Amino acid sequence: MIGGAERRAARLLRWYPPTWRARYGDEFTELLLAEFAERPRSWRRAGDVARGGLLARLTGAGLTGHELEPSEQVRAGLATAVCSLAAFLAFGIAMWAQLTVGWEWAAPSATATRVGMVAMSAAALLLTVLVVLAVLPLAVAAAGGIVRGRARHLHGPLLLAVAGAVVLAVGSHHFQNAWPGTGGHSWAQQGLVPGGVAAFSWAATLSVSSYWAHPAALAAFPAAEVAWMVVSPLALVALVVGVAGTIRRLDWSPRLLRYEAWLVSAAAVGMTVFLAGGCCWVLAEGSRPGLFHAGAIDVVSLAVMMLALFVARRATGRAWKSVQGAH
Amino acid sequence: MTDVAGAKDNTLGTFGRYAGPATLILSSLADGPKHGYALTKDVEAFAGVRLAPGTLYEALSRLEGQGLIEALDSDDRRRPYRLTAAGAGALKAHLNDQRRVADVGLRRLATGWGAS
Repeated sequence: MIGGAERRAARLLRWYPPTWRARYGDEFTELLLAEFAERPRSWRRAGDVARGGLLARLTGAGLTGHELEPSEQVRAGLATAVCSLAAFLAFGIAMWAQLTVGWEWAAPSATATRVGMVAMSAAALLLTVLVVLAVLPLAVAAAGGIVRGRARHLHGPLLLAVAGAVVLAVGSHHFQNAWPGTGGHSWAQQGLVPGGVAAFSWAATLSVSSYWAHPAALAAFPAAEVAWMVVSPLALVALVVGVAGTIRRLDWSPRLLRYEAWLVSAAAVGMTVFLAGGCCWVLAEGSRPGLFHAGAIDVVSLAVMMLALFVARRATGRAWKSVQGAH
Repeated sequence: MTDVAGAKDNTLGTFGRYAGPATLILSSLADGPKHGYALTKDVEAFAGVRLAPGTLYEALSRLEGQGLIEALDSDDRRRPYRLTAAGAGALKAHLNDQRRVADVGLRRLATGWGAS
């Protein structure tokens, strides 16, 4: 009987993040056992624990009004913003690559679509530059720690990030050769961006596809391509989890914290411009058939991007609020 | 205005929707340290409110983070908490604010509605 109650308490405790469990787990379990003895079943109680656990996870991500210690709050906010940016880019670049492939064949006739695509391309370039500017000092700081032998705790997340990045880069480079815009067509290379960039982006985000909802059509794909559609998001997750883990564990200087927080704020502006460009295209093209047809997957992508932008802005705002008090 | 222990008047105001549970917990701890279940039973006895476990610990972690309560060492898994001086000051300020609001409301009711 007690064993069963312990197991129930342990199941409920899983709603909470590991750090919370390490601090409050034992006493919370005791409280739950006392509650079970008094009232064996309560959906309200289970719901309250689930809500509390999710809230504790959001707090750990720097997304609630419950402030963490300042430097921890900044790190949490930055890590969350990076995760949001990755989700945003995965869906956004998939959409953008599809459009740039179309432009390789013919420029869009609707002005709003052209404006939207130019805005998305400019924002994508800005975001790429910001990511490079953000990663460089991080890499230098991490490398410095490793050289001095003081960064053993960074080995795991760094290895994960590098493995994810290598798989994503090598795989995308390999599969970009199957890009529909290649093949020496006379119209090719008339697009908004170099064909290779569009092809690489298309291959890297091949998994963001409506084909998942059409298994029969998906079955007609080459097996290697379907395997890549499964592997590439896993590689992206490894990359993002590794980077977020590095951000959480790295010993930051106040100056580097401010610099990264500034870059993330600038990235939020780039995301907003990108999203506005995407909305412009979807509104202009609607369900009109053709190269620039907007489908259900694109509407879903826009919704995901809006959510990612909201989370990134919230995390960035809280990180900024704490950046002055850090260290 | 600051209280005797230096806590700002609006400390509990920053708790948002947890200001209610936080006030109940601080009031319960005002007469001595208690662990989670004892807190739940005491609050239920004096306020008629049953704090669910998730809500109780969300409020406890916030109060502890703000330095308004502190955990005591314990031989078993039930860890008791006690009020700090800052917590006592914050509770006093918050209850005084609430009393002012209650006094105004009751006075206006008595004037306009004849209630006492």
